[in-house]
Amino acid sequence: MTSTFHGLETAKRGLVAQQTALSVVGHNIANANTLGYSRQRVNQTAGAAYPSPGLNRAQMAGQLGTGVQAESIQRIRDHFLDAQYRNESSKLGYYGTAHNVMTEIEGVMNELDDTGLANSIDTFWQSLQDLAANSVNAGAKAIVRERGIALAGTFNYLSESLQMVRSNLESELQVTVKEINGLLEGIDNLNKQIDLVEPNGALPNDLYDARDNLIDELSGKLSIKVEYVSNGGNASAQAAGTAVIHFLNGTESTTTLVDKAGYSVISVTQAGDDSAVDTVIIGDSAIAASDFVSKGKLLAMMEGYGYMDADGNVKGEVTDMMQELDQMAFIFATEFNKVHKAGLSVNEISYGNTDTLFFSEEDGGSEPADAKGFAGRIQVADAIIDSIDNLATATTSSPIKGDGANVLNLANVIYAEFNYKDAGGNDSPTVEKSSLIGYLQKVIGEMGGKTQTADRLSSNSETLLQSVLDKRSSVSGVSLDEEMTNLVQFQQAYNASARMVTLLDECLDRIINGLGLGGR
Amino acid sequence: MRVTQSMIASHSLRNISQSYGRISASLEQMSSGKKISKPSDDPVIAQRGMYYRANLNEITQYNRNLSEAFLWMDNSEAAMEQANSNLQRIRELVVQASSDTNTVEDRLAIAKEIDQLKADLVEVANTKVSERYMFNGTNVTEPPVAIDDAGNVTVTAADTAYLVEVSRGSQLKVNANLNALLGQGLFDTISEISAELTGNDTDLDALLADLDGHMSAFSAERSDLGARYNRLELLESRIQYQEDLSAKALSDNEDIDLEKIITDYSNQKAVHEAALTVGSNLIQRSLVDFLR
Repeated sequence: MTSTFHGLETAKRGLVAQQTALSVVGHNIANANTLGYSRQRVNQTAGAAYPSPGLNRAQMAGQLGTGVQAESIQRIRDHFLDAQYRNESSKLGYYGTAHNVMTEIEGVMNELDDTGLANSIDTFWQSLQDLAANSVNAGAKAIVRERGIALAGTFNYLSESLQMVRSNLESELQVTVKEINGLLEGIDNLNKQIDLVEPNGALPNDLYDARDNLIDELSGKLSIKVEYVSNGGNASAQAAGTAVIHFLNGTESTTTLVDKAGYSVISVTQAGDDSAVDTVIIGDSAIAASDFVSKGKLLAMMEGYGYMDADGNVKGEVTDMMQELDQMAFIFATEFNKVHKAGLSVNEISYGNTDTLFFSEEDGGSEPADAKGFAGRIQVADAIIDSIDNLATATTSSPIKGDGANVLNLANVIYAEFNYKDAGGNDSPTVEKSSLIGYLQKVIGEMGGKTQTADRLSSNSETLLQSVLDKRSSVSGVSLDEEMTNLVQFQQAYNASARMVTLLDECLDRIINGLGLGGR
Repeated sequence: MRVTQSMIASHSLRNISQSYGRISASLEQMSSGKKISKPSDDPVIAQRGMYYRANLNEITQYNRNLSEAFLWMDNSEAAMEQANSNLQRIRELVVQASSDTNTVEDRLAIAKEIDQLKADLVEVANTKVSERYMFNGTNVTEPPVAIDDAGNVTVTAADTAYLVEVSRGSQLKVNANLNALLGQGLFDTISEISAELTGNDTDLDALLADLDGHMSAFSAERSDLGARYNRLELLESRIQYQEDLSAKALSDNEDIDLEKIITDYSNQKAVHEAALTVGSNLIQRSLVDFLR
């Protein structure tokens, strides 16, 4: 026999369960636009049947249901899609940042307009040609000097601008490291909060979402692999557990970023004149920058800013471009000076040969000594600034003031082919040689190609990421139509349960108040 | 596949921003008139553009060098024309003086005129163009011929070539050699003629032969300059042709095809407007609107 109020209890359970479901629907609707929110569902299960089997069970026709119960509130999430998302996110973080870096460099080295290095070289050459045709004209000489100053100035400006880009990258690199540490700390905190909840049997769905958001963000900066370890206790079957985050260097995971014990602080060390990134330190393990291949924003920042390769040389997009500029400035200035020294100026014809320089180091008087950083230091020598009559227009074969043969020799330096690749200017059959303009064209072409590739790869990974995001949103996203349908469904079920209470009330009323007169 | 409101919203937003991006790219091309605005838009166009621009600058410069060459040659030619008429006059006077009908006074007058013509030839030899002596090789700051009060002429002209570069590695000599045109020998002959006439000596045949010899050397050098002038004119038309070709190549490489861009732009605009309209209708509708 069941209790008199069995039906009321069943209906009450129905009311409670539908109300829970309605609250969850309300929570879902409220969070329809929350970033990274996964829709939640109430798992309703039928209550334990009565009577339960046993020797002394009540003799009844069969087992009678005891209504419904809201067993758990679960979030709808596909961990496989999470892994996919994080994989693509690392790639986007890497290529997107690489593209940004290249765009910065391209902004400095934009040679398409009439303000670039190519234009300075062209106008310098033109002024020399004008002087060659009219080598005693003071005006033409002054223009050569001004254009020379403009050329040196363009080298200085480009070098400084790249230096600026580089120091911005350096601070961004440090900010990225800080961000990573912040994320790791956040994930660790959430792990600990989740660890407090799960052993009690509850599911901290919103903490899971918050943790997944942080892990997603972390995956844009480093390659990671996530594993879940149960927190034990009376944990529900659907409990995720503690997220253990492994650092992926390539495909192998060598270090743990976050585990039950806590998180590893990440830092980078810099070394050398260029303070290039030397090692990446994660917790107790140090990874040489040249071995660090974990795709993500951090790697792209390192490759943009500059890192030590296996041979101890600095590599990096900005440093490479600066090196190309230094090489061009150094080799051109050296070769130009050679021709200039070999020639004779009006002053040298009058007062004796002094082998004047045209381009000099920063001090204005000494020979270009070191290619490193030379683009930032190149100057027109003080002697030329002081007097245009120090411009070596004549050759030693005809030491007369009106001779302009050396001016043509100077102009030809611009189109002469040298080994601009190597600061030593070594000449061997294996090195390619090119003119100053030709080399610049090559450098700009390569830079354009690299930027284009980075752009293409970053928009590719963006498309892929978007498609994973769509899939994820398809699984976990809140659909208002669906929630409204559920709302109607649960509301009707609630109404029906309430109706059941009314019906049972009428039944009991009949028994208690309308049946016979006993006890009155 | 389950589709949610946020998916539709993010899809339409992405599509709208993509189509907006294309419109912005078209607008940029239209306003700049160039196919690309940075090297990465198309590295090949960028690299070629740099090459063509350098090439065009170079050709423009050689074209400018040509005007310098023309300046020299035109001025040399004018000077030679003057020298030539002077020499012709001297020859006429010598022939006239050879006649026995001349009196001593006549001969003295002729000698005077010849002296004047000689002084004029010295002026011609010292012609300057924009402050440079044209007939002294590359030694343009020094006069090639000096004449003292006694009328003694000293020619110290250098015969170095004054070169102007007319294309990469190729130079054209633009000056004439004064030693062939109006050399020491010529001035000596003229001085001797004048001296003979002053001395009332009528036997001028040998000197006339000398003079003729110098004049034919003069003609030879003059026609040499004429030949180089022809070459210069040829070079000029070739360089102008190259300049046109280069400018065309540069334009073909990086200038936009306006008709194509405008057509593209109209298409993109239509698509963009459609996307906006559809997006605005789609995003606001959900079951909420239809439940009472």
